[in-house]
Amino acid sequence: MADTVYQPYADSNQTPHRVEGYARTFTRTPDSFVERPVTLTERTGPLAVERRLAVGTADFTRTSPDGPRAQGPLMLLHGRVVDEDNNPVAGAMVEVWHANASGKYIHEDDGFNAPLDANFTGGGRVVTDADGRFTITTVKPGPYRAGPASWRAPHIHFSIIGTSWMDRMVTQVHFPGEPLNDFDMLLNAAPDGTPRESMIAHALPPRVEAGDASEFEHLFVVRGHAGGGSGG
Amino acid sequence: MADPSVWQTIGPFFPTRLAEASCTDLTELRGKPASGTRITLSGQVLERDRQPVRNAVVEIWQPDSEGLFAHPADPRAASADPHFLGWGRCATDANGWYRFRTIMPGRRADNASGVRLPHINMMLLASGIMRRLTTTVFFGDERAGADDPVLAAVPHASRGRLFARRAPELDRVTDEAYCFDVLIQGDEETPFFLD
Repeated sequence: MADTVYQPYADSNQTPHRVEGYARTFTRTPDSFVERPVTLTERTGPLAVERRLAVGTADFTRTSPDGPRAQGPLMLLHGRVVDEDNNPVAGAMVEVWHANASGKYIHEDDGFNAPLDANFTGGGRVVTDADGRFTITTVKPGPYRAGPASWRAPHIHFSIIGTSWMDRMVTQVHFPGEPLNDFDMLLNAAPDGTPRESMIAHALPPRVEAGDASEFEHLFVVRGHAGGGSGG
Repeated sequence: MADPSVWQTIGPFFPTRLAEASCTDLTELRGKPASGTRITLSGQVLERDRQPVRNAVVEIWQPDSEGLFAHPADPRAASADPHFLGWGRCATDANGWYRFRTIMPGRRADNASGVRLPHINMMLLASGIMRRLTTTVFFGDERAGADDPVLAAVPHASRGRLFARRAPELDRVTDEAYCFDVLIQGDEETPFFLD
């Protein structure tokens, strides 16, 4: 089998390193970057990371299977992880974290004046199936104030550990139709058009099987051309 | 065909429980010890003006003590140490320090990898880092590394910054202790790779 091809990220479809209005991006970006070859160390990565990282429940809305639900709109998010040729990435470790329905994180650094929710776990880990798919059960996160005149639109953080050093991905997923999407500094730091739109989940039509939950789906594309693929 | 998803910062609220302490110890896997020389790799993450970066996440990836990877891309994967995951994660403390206990990576010279000095890939994630920052930590003598394709890509003047220094004062539990400070920006900044 031919080697997977990994190309550097293109500035045309990625957020810039420095984001106007986000001071830390200016003190935490190197002045220069060095081109590096892709060696075996970059082509490889840890497999079955669940041997190290504990995977718990994919339901973040309760602290025990029969416990009371967290407050806020119950939702299911159906994700799929694929490479750039639409090949599923099976066995990927997906880590998730987000604010509760009031816009508050479980983190000591979060100074937003909103209540915690004892039944909300704040996120967790899931592993993709053979088709690269996973589903999380959670409550829709609330917006929150992130600066003197800055608000974050509702969003969920995702970290993906795939199959190599090169296909590692950290991103955020937003929700369609949110008024604050127009003002979210990070969402709007992504290039307009396809890159920005690719950060917004799709709402799915209501169906009986979803019960009390609304449903969203999102496609995560990690770097790499392995060849083949079903998406053409 | 689709472009990769858009990278984003982990932000300031990455849950501390997703950077559990067990991720900093690569010297065992599920209770079975890895083979090789046990080392400590620690250092301080610094931003502009050498200010410590707390609440950052450092991740590492490395070959085993023989330079092998338990991964299908490595033709010698079958010989790799089954008790070595090669991956670790550490959140920086209030002064920007990270610390891993791991195995000294092996030197390797073959068709699959060219000549690689002992090395550990490292990435930084933090609030204000929109796309991960990647570098490589080398061990040994810079003069022996001219054939290493990654080291060779780095300008001569800054290659020395990619070498961990012996620092026995930092840890006496493992066999050897090394220090590798990461300076994100400024004069003498750590070489980072175009990713």
